[in-house]
Amino acid sequence: MVKMMKMAMMINPLALPKGQHKLCELCQKPAHVQCTKCRVTFYCNASHQQADWVGIHQKVCQLLVPLRTAVPFHALQVDRDHHSAQIRQRKEQLIEISRATAQRKLLEGLHMEALPAAQLCLRSAREVFGCSAVELVPAYLLLAEINIGLAYVAEAKEYLTQAEWTALRSPGCSRAVRHQLQRNLGRLYIAEENLEWALFHLANDVYYATEEFGLDSPKTCGGYLLMANVFFIQEKTDIAMSLYTKVASTWHDHLSEVLESHVHSSAAVEDLLDEIRWVEAEGTLHSLLEAQRQSTQEQPYLLALVSHALAVLCLLAGDLAQALEFGRKALSNSQLVPDCSLVEPIQGFLQLAEQRLGERDGSGAGVITDAGDEPSQ
Amino acid sequence: MSMLIQQQVCGGAPDPSQPSEAEGLGIQDRMQRSGSPTRSSQSPKDIVKDHNLSKEDVALIRNSPKHIVCVDMLREGYHASFSELFALIQKWNASREAAGPGSAIWQHRPLEEQPSKLHELRRFLTRAEAAQRAGLYEEVYENQVALAHYFKDPEDIWLSHYFYEAGLKSARLVASDEGRREAEANGNMGDVCMERGDLEAARDHYEAFHRLSASKAWLDATGRSYAARACEGLWKTYTLLAEKMLADKDYESAIGTLVNAFVMAQEAGNKKIEGEAAYRVGLGYQCVGDHPTARSYLHIYMEISSALGDHESLGKAYKAIAQSLESEGKFGELTEFLEKFVKVSSGNSQNRNLVEACMYLGVIYRSRGEYDKGCTYLQRAYDIGCGLNDLPLLQKVQVHLGSARAHHMMMAYSRHVEEAQPLDVRKLLAWKDSRSNDFYSAD
Repeated sequence: MVKMMKMAMMINPLALPKGQHKLCELCQKPAHVQCTKCRVTFYCNASHQQADWVGIHQKVCQLLVPLRTAVPFHALQVDRDHHSAQIRQRKEQLIEISRATAQRKLLEGLHMEALPAAQLCLRSAREVFGCSAVELVPAYLLLAEINIGLAYVAEAKEYLTQAEWTALRSPGCSRAVRHQLQRNLGRLYIAEENLEWALFHLANDVYYATEEFGLDSPKTCGGYLLMANVFFIQEKTDIAMSLYTKVASTWHDHLSEVLESHVHSSAAVEDLLDEIRWVEAEGTLHSLLEAQRQSTQEQPYLLALVSHALAVLCLLAGDLAQALEFGRKALSNSQLVPDCSLVEPIQGFLQLAEQRLGERDGSGAGVITDAGDEPSQ
Repeated sequence: MSMLIQQQVCGGAPDPSQPSEAEGLGIQDRMQRSGSPTRSSQSPKDIVKDHNLSKEDVALIRNSPKHIVCVDMLREGYHASFSELFALIQKWNASREAAGPGSAIWQHRPLEEQPSKLHELRRFLTRAEAAQRAGLYEEVYENQVALAHYFKDPEDIWLSHYFYEAGLKSARLVASDEGRREAEANGNMGDVCMERGDLEAARDHYEAFHRLSASKAWLDATGRSYAARACEGLWKTYTLLAEKMLADKDYESAIGTLVNAFVMAQEAGNKKIEGEAAYRVGLGYQCVGDHPTARSYLHIYMEISSALGDHESLGKAYKAIAQSLESEGKFGELTEFLEKFVKVSSGNSQNRNLVEACMYLGVIYRSRGEYDKGCTYLQRAYDIGCGLNDLPLLQKVQVHLGSARAHHMMMAYSRHVEEAQPLDVRKLLAWKDSRSNDFYSAD
């Protein structure tokens, strides 16, 4: 809070030059507070500044300075062109940063913090591409998803309607964007408890995602998972369970592949599984575990798949104890299924994990003895 | 806001860039499915005019048939059917790409543009999936086989094969019917492999079919017993396999396989193919020079053919036996069989066989010095052969006949030359003038 005080400078709207209206970055009301670092962003009060700082401003504070100051005078056309090209490049950079930030916060479940970033993303996209460009759709979708997460259904609906309309008017709209749009429409209808429409849009989502990324891509899983939840609510448990199993086996295969190439080619985990994918995997698998817990029927195969996938994820993250725990759980569950093809891979995995644990303990012990030896000498 | 936009979209004409995608069938299908009384009386045109279009109706006009079918399956929760359909379409496209422009498959209409086939696939795939979720593998199997039957066109035969294969997998999971469906699926797979020309795989499937259906009284839809079908399939496969071995000159294993085929033909209870199989075993033994064994099999063929009253096969049997006897040098029996061959072939409008029989017999007589008989048979062969319109055969007969006659006249001719009396010389000169056939009768 002390830091915040330094950053904030009070301004009086009445003292502004004529014709200048400084508005709050978040709520577009007349501003009373100015950021002292960039001096180009204004807020109606300190709490809004605080929210924006946490959400996005700390990452883009200095980037905003050239974008929001008056255009300097250039005598030559070449210089003017150069300057405007530079500004455009910076704006695109800003869109990218704010989009990535919003996306990550969203995946982490921090909807409130994601909101300023997504708003900034939309505003800068509008500045760059105009009001009806297809490039705005991802920003609309981010905002819609955040609003659904916050249970602001009316706002979400507004953003989605704009996104849908924009996508409809541009035939060149990519399938990746359409798939995101359909998924968010699905989410919206789930929030509105209109399950039939939700299923319709989620089905479209899965279709577009499959067309774009292939049948076994984990990117289709989000749609399947939401559909499964809808069927679960509709009490069609068998369908829901079969969808959960589908999602689990897709992630399981994907993570096993990642582990395989990690072990064999010793490629860095970050190259094989980017951060967004990582968070998504974790979220999906834990919600599968949760769904399994809620169902009355025991699903050892599903449980084995999910546990094994989680174990692989823990191993990749370096949490070997946790990996072993999940691995053992997976093994005991897979042994409940007759003729389960998972038993062997899981046993192989457990060996790998134990071997790694042994190596680490060995080297760890070595360090301790070294440290212990030194003082005695 | 949302409603407003929707109405704007729906009120406008459908996207002119995708007119072909507005499939009438899809719309009608949807109307049947939705079952709402107000909608079902409308034609697709009315729907377009109607400003209260639902999103579904818009999707029907804007989206491709494949998209519509896929979404329909997914929203009902049939994700496995969707994956299967999607993978099939991908597979077809990949094989088309691999074949390249100008190939036969390049001319075919893609599966994704044929709504009727897509709907059929959806119908049976979703039923199969529902049954699978309920654990009713019999039903899964039935639906897969129904699809396999549906895709009988030559250009869709790969789909038929695919579903037979899938059928076999689900039939293996059926526990309640003592393996009946597994047997049937193996039989179907055997047929599929035969069509593909993969004889080894066909043999494995037919053997499984045979093993499962042995000593069971199962009948198929046409009333044939499974066991007999299995035996016939095996007979056919073994025979073809043996032919391949014979072409590779691997006689030992060929004979083994042919004997297997014969055993199967016996088991099948079909006399005709049993005889056929025995005949092939006989020919196999002839190839390695084991004529007594060959003859014993050929005798079986002969008996079966005479029991069936099949004169043509009987002729074939006689001829083959005669060939064996000839190699063994048993001329007494040989002529006896050849005369039977001639007898069986005559009077049944089997002129070609008759010519061959007569020629064969004539040549044998000639080679044994019985020129008289030889000439008679060859003359008969020639006379009949004239009506056959088969020049190479006729020329062969001509040569044989000429040589037989020459041999026949040789004795009389050389006697006259040896005696060299004026009378003999005159006769020789007279013959040289006339070049008639009856030189021998002139003395």
